Amino acid sequence: MEITNPVHKPGFWEKISVERIKVELLRTAYGQSMTFLSRFDPRILMAWYAFFAITPWFIHNKVILLGFLIAIAILTYTSKPSLLVLLVLAIGLISDAAYMLVVSLMFGGGLAAAWALSTLTLKLLVITLASIAVFTSMDPERLSDGLLSLGMPAQFSFGVAYGFRMLPILIEEYNNILYSYRLRGKSPQKKSLRMLIYSFKLSVIAFYPLILNTAKRTRTTVEALEIKGFTYAMHDPKVKKLKLSYLKITLKDLAFLAVSAFYITVVFYLGSMLEL
Amino acid sequence: MMTMAQAQAGAQAIHAKTYATDMEVNARVDKQADAIASMADSQQANVLATTDTVVQVSAHSGTHHAADEQAIIEVRNVSFCYPGAEVNTLQDVSLRITRGDFVAVIGSNGSGKSTLCKCLNGLIPTYYSGDFEGKVLVNGIDTSSTTIAQLSKHVAYVFQDFENQLVRPTVFDELCFAPLNFGYENYKERAQQALRMLDIEELSKQWIWQLSGGQKHMVALAAALALDPEVIIVDEPVAQLDPAHARLIYEKLAMLNDTYHKTIIVIEHHTEYIADFCKNVILLDQGGRVRWSKPVDAALSAIEELQELHIQPPQVTQAMAALQLRDPATQLYPVTIEHAAQLLQPLPGQQLIQPEHNASSPPEPLNIDNSSDSSDRKALVIIDHATSGYQSMNKQHTATLRDINLTIYEGDRIALVGNNGAGKSTLLRLIAGIRKPWSGSVNVCGNDTRSTTPEQLSDAVSFIFQNPEEMFIADHIREDIEFFLKARKQERIEPFINHIIDTFNLSELQQRDGRLLSGGQQRRATLAIGLAMKPTVMLLDEPTASLDIVSRREMTKLFDELHEQVQAIVVATHDMQLVADWATRVIVMHNGEILLDGRSEEVFQQPHLLELAALIPPQIVQLGHRLQWQQPALSVEQFVKRMKQLTLLTSAGPSPTR
Repeated sequence: MEITNPVHKPGFWEKISVERIKVELLRTAYGQSMTFLSRFDPRILMAWYAFFAITPWFIHNKVILLGFLIAIAILTYTSKPSLLVLLVLAIGLISDAAYMLVVSLMFGGGLAAAWALSTLTLKLLVITLASIAVFTSMDPERLSDGLLSLGMPAQFSFGVAYGFRMLPILIEEYNNILYSYRLRGKSPQKKSLRMLIYSFKLSVIAFYPLILNTAKRTRTTVEALEIKGFTYAMHDPKVKKLKLSYLKITLKDLAFLAVSAFYITVVFYLGSMLEL
Repeated sequence: MMTMAQAQAGAQAIHAKTYATDMEVNARVDKQADAIASMADSQQANVLATTDTVVQVSAHSGTHHAADEQAIIEVRNVSFCYPGAEVNTLQDVSLRITRGDFVAVIGSNGSGKSTLCKCLNGLIPTYYSGDFEGKVLVNGIDTSSTTIAQLSKHVAYVFQDFENQLVRPTVFDELCFAPLNFGYENYKERAQQALRMLDIEELSKQWIWQLSGGQKHMVALAAALALDPEVIIVDEPVAQLDPAHARLIYEKLAMLNDTYHKTIIVIEHHTEYIADFCKNVILLDQGGRVRWSKPVDAALSAIEELQELHIQPPQVTQAMAALQLRDPATQLYPVTIEHAAQLLQPLPGQQLIQPEHNASSPPEPLNIDNSSDSSDRKALVIIDHATSGYQSMNKQHTATLRDINLTIYEGDRIALVGNNGAGKSTLLRLIAGIRKPWSGSVNVCGNDTRSTTPEQLSDAVSFIFQNPEEMFIADHIREDIEFFLKARKQERIEPFINHIIDTFNLSELQQRDGRLLSGGQQRRATLAIGLAMKPTVMLLDEPTASLDIVSRREMTKLFDELHEQVQAIVVATHDMQLVADWATRVIVMHNGEILLDGRSEEVFQQPHLLELAALIPPQIVQLGHRLQWQQPALSVEQFVKRMKQLTLLTSAGPSPTR
């Protein structure tokens, strides 16, 4: 029996706590099972993503990039990404834009140069939003199976899924180790630069025990994998076929590709007509 | 199919040794010569075993099933030495386990129990390249000439740290994983079947990390079952689970044994589970030798032998041994509550236990000082209407503690009990200041935790985590123990640190990394770390898990020694014996609320409360209930004392066996 407590409003520091980051990461990874993009075959999504991750680098037309951006922004919205991820993205972009502005002003390029450089920002925006849209919509299992079917080694695709499975446990453990340091250490006086340095130092050194613990727990995992026939399966192509038999490209997937292709053609056509 | 091949076909040397030890032991135990039958029994077993005859000793029923006598596991003269180790972990081990058996492997820490089990599933010698001698046959297959994968179709293994054996994100995926790897087309049906066998179909879609410890254990077991093995090995199921879940696991294992005729092997410290569920017991000596293998009644009746190896026999058996009450038929001490209660029931014409006398008997004097009223003791921790909890994935705030009011006084020895997820850990974290209340306040030794950092609070509070590995932050445990004092730049700490290290018997281990110690040693190290902080309030999360009886006794003794420094101790625990014979105050939690705050007796007198909080009273308390004592004895000593008083008061003969 769980009772929610609507009264509690987390403070700012609570929001960026390790625990909170864990929840956000899990939501990003597993939380969205029913978004628009999640309905499609992972291989189709990966091909789709590959297009939007690579082509922007070769496009210098702002109209086309904007066209891409609009479509992708909508898809990103439908995949309900976590605020934390968007926040990290926003910080990255704003600092990027700000530094370009400063550099161009310092070297006398003025706003014109900044405008020219904004093409790069646009490209980055398209690529990052595409990544967010695809990876929040695709849970690690489907991603891992998609990679396997595209010919990635079994160890690699297993690693992707296993990494996500371990993530919550590792974050929890990291949090506890951090508290082990804090519960036995001595912190400098509050709200000073030294406090900041102390916190930073702790957050780094807490990784060492975590790595050692992980190394130790891996022993059981590796033994268990051996028992569960993981290495046995790698030499048996039949297993791969059996495992991936649920992945099927359907009409729906093809329709999605067709609509995307049509949209891209329209955007390119508009790009050749208009100039920004 | 309660049958067992008594010992070791084809291992003449071991027979001789076992025979000798058995003789010695029997001679010692049976000084008063009132258990001739049991001695004859084991003699016969050994004699027959030396002539290579399969002897079946029926554990309970006395019926023999010739058809089931074939061995599913045969270990012949196995010795094993881990790479880099100096001594053999297993020394000339020979065993035979018959199909359909339910065997417990017992032995003190470091006697090679886990190593033995890893020989059975082929990890040794295929995966570990140590020095391996001898032969292991599983279902007729020689383990050294096959692959681990092939063997896992016959033998399933549930590790002690079972969390790490779950490799997939969801339960159903986990169950499909092994059958899929072996290329079974029907892997989904196999997974479904395993879920059905254990009756956990509702977990199918869950994410692994959302499960409780008990559920994870069940999933690890189900994943093993998906390959439909004949043998299931479970390594210390009770150590990590609350008593109700532990019992559930055992009930499932018993069901698999009965209904599906699986052979079950458990490694276990907790003899009361062995008494209730297992059929046979294999005792490993220090140094990886098999001392004997006996039916469960005979095995657990060998009280002195078990205690000598730091294994605690069931409480009822201890009590009955102290009273010298044996079963007249077998000349063994009873090992289950049921059996003990039967023996204690008055014979016709006798009134061994008089309820009206019992009601008027004065309450047992407690060995604790609870006389002083709490109001004139200093309040150390004041929790006022505190609510706290976690945010779940769907962004909802889930309260794990609701509106808690609690004051902890100087001198309190508190046992905090309740099922997993009742909020025990959250409460401890609130007091340690690493979790702040959402509403209400927590005051620890004059500090409001919301305006105090954990570093500042640590001057007054030390908190021992449930998982020892999360507390090893330095290169070796001596450094871990010194960490707190060194951070505070205290000088001349050497003698104090040495004293702590000696008390916990860690001198030889002090230069080792905590992670590389055994479970019991890790516990001792974390206790030393906590006490080296000279805390006023000490908080411990499950400290007795994986502690053997001696370390456990050391721990409580140390608490007593430290009463000047450590003014209050709060222990979150499932260990009901700790509740019964150590705690001065018991707090029962359920669903984030405090259900009861009182003395141990009060808790054990309220069965509905126990059930709610997933608690199982110690055997001796249960026996008291069975005898309809209004105020059950809390420890074996109390029980024995009261029984002696009762038998003195009744003129009739004290025991049906005399």
